[in-house]
Amino acid sequence: MKLLHIWVFCISLLTGVLSVYGQEIASVDSLQTQVLDSVQLKQKTPLSLRFGADLYRIIRSRASDDFQGFEAVADLRIRENLFLAAEVGNEERTRQVEQVNFTTKGTYYKIGFDLNMYDNWEGMDNHVILGIRLASSSHSQFLNSYTLLDRTPFWQVPETEITTGFANRDYPNLNAYWLEIITGFKVQLLNNVYLGLSLRLNRLLRDTVPENFDNIHIPGFNKKTEDNKFGASFNYTLTYSLPFRFKK
Amino acid sequence: MSTLKTTLCIALIALGFFTACEKDDICLADIAGTPDLVILLLDKDTGTRRTPSGFSIRPIGTEKELSQRSGDSLGLPLRITEAVTQFEFILNQGSENENIDTLQINYRRQDQFINSACGYRANFVLDQPPVFILNSGNNWIKGALILKDTISDETAAHLGILH
Repeated sequence: MKLLHIWVFCISLLTGVLSVYGQEIASVDSLQTQVLDSVQLKQKTPLSLRFGADLYRIIRSRASDDFQGFEAVADLRIRENLFLAAEVGNEERTRQVEQVNFTTKGTYYKIGFDLNMYDNWEGMDNHVILGIRLASSSHSQFLNSYTLLDRTPFWQVPETEITTGFANRDYPNLNAYWLEIITGFKVQLLNNVYLGLSLRLNRLLRDTVPENFDNIHIPGFNKKTEDNKFGASFNYTLTYSLPFRFKK
Repeated sequence: MSTLKTTLCIALIALGFFTACEKDDICLADIAGTPDLVILLLDKDTGTRRTPSGFSIRPIGTEKELSQRSGDSLGLPLRITEAVTQFEFILNQGSENENIDTLQINYRRQDQFINSACGYRANFVLDQPPVFILNSGNNWIKGALILKDTISDETAAHLGILH
């Protein structure tokens, strides 16, 4: 619930800023239209909402027994080259990391901006994107099995798997917050259909670490590496753009 | 087009960086594993350390022999798949008045997380009472004393054997 409140706050803050921003654009635009109408030119502010899903996660869910996941993506064009972008995903993944086998379940939210750095020719709408996201997840870890670190094994073979006991349990109510730096591109396939690929470099800001275990994997962030600070992820999206313009 | 090239470069570098070796995946050799139970042989009257003559310990259920530790403390490996481990404590080994006491150590296991590379090590908590003497009559071991009930490392003795 706490997480939800934080997100509601963030989004309301952003919409507040944007609505002020929008009014500014509108007033400038109306001036421009007045001027430009006389020379039969129209300056459009191409507002459009684009939404879709990550194909990679859909395919992987079908192909792999260890992964079930879905990610919905959306962005809103707020300037010619600036987009308000968001991703929402849900994931259940079983991983074997060295001696430990565990299942991570959870939901993540990402919100931020995409900047299109590509100069399109007239009539084209392709994107080379540089973006930033603030992201969070709420998840749980379940420790399935592990082998103990035993430097001088005496009674048992070192590979003895522990599947029940003190540590084999659910570790619920975990959170993580991180920042993502994104590079990627979107290609216009049809008039309103885009295929996109993005690479994401994640920097963990804060996570609640379970007692006697760790967030080795975080939904949306993936595996913690390099002193438990960095992660990397990507998505491969198919999106549909719904163009609209605010009436003046 | 230069922006496209720059972006692709950044993307490739990022990809290379993250598919490379991760040092987090290596469990360093100086990280301690599952600890042994460290015992001391104590005089039942004075409480001072005293190792009797011809003394040795034989684990029950294996042909293996215990490795020697430096100093006057003894390290006993505990079974991780069971809650008890049994040892024979032998006095005057090989001589006419050899005396063998069979001891059962009672404990429960609580595994402790180290990190993602090393996983878990076993820790043990001694039960109350920590030791049963299984044979009857003519026991040279008179009892046991818990010095530290949680076995998480081998830096201090956990159990005193009184004789």
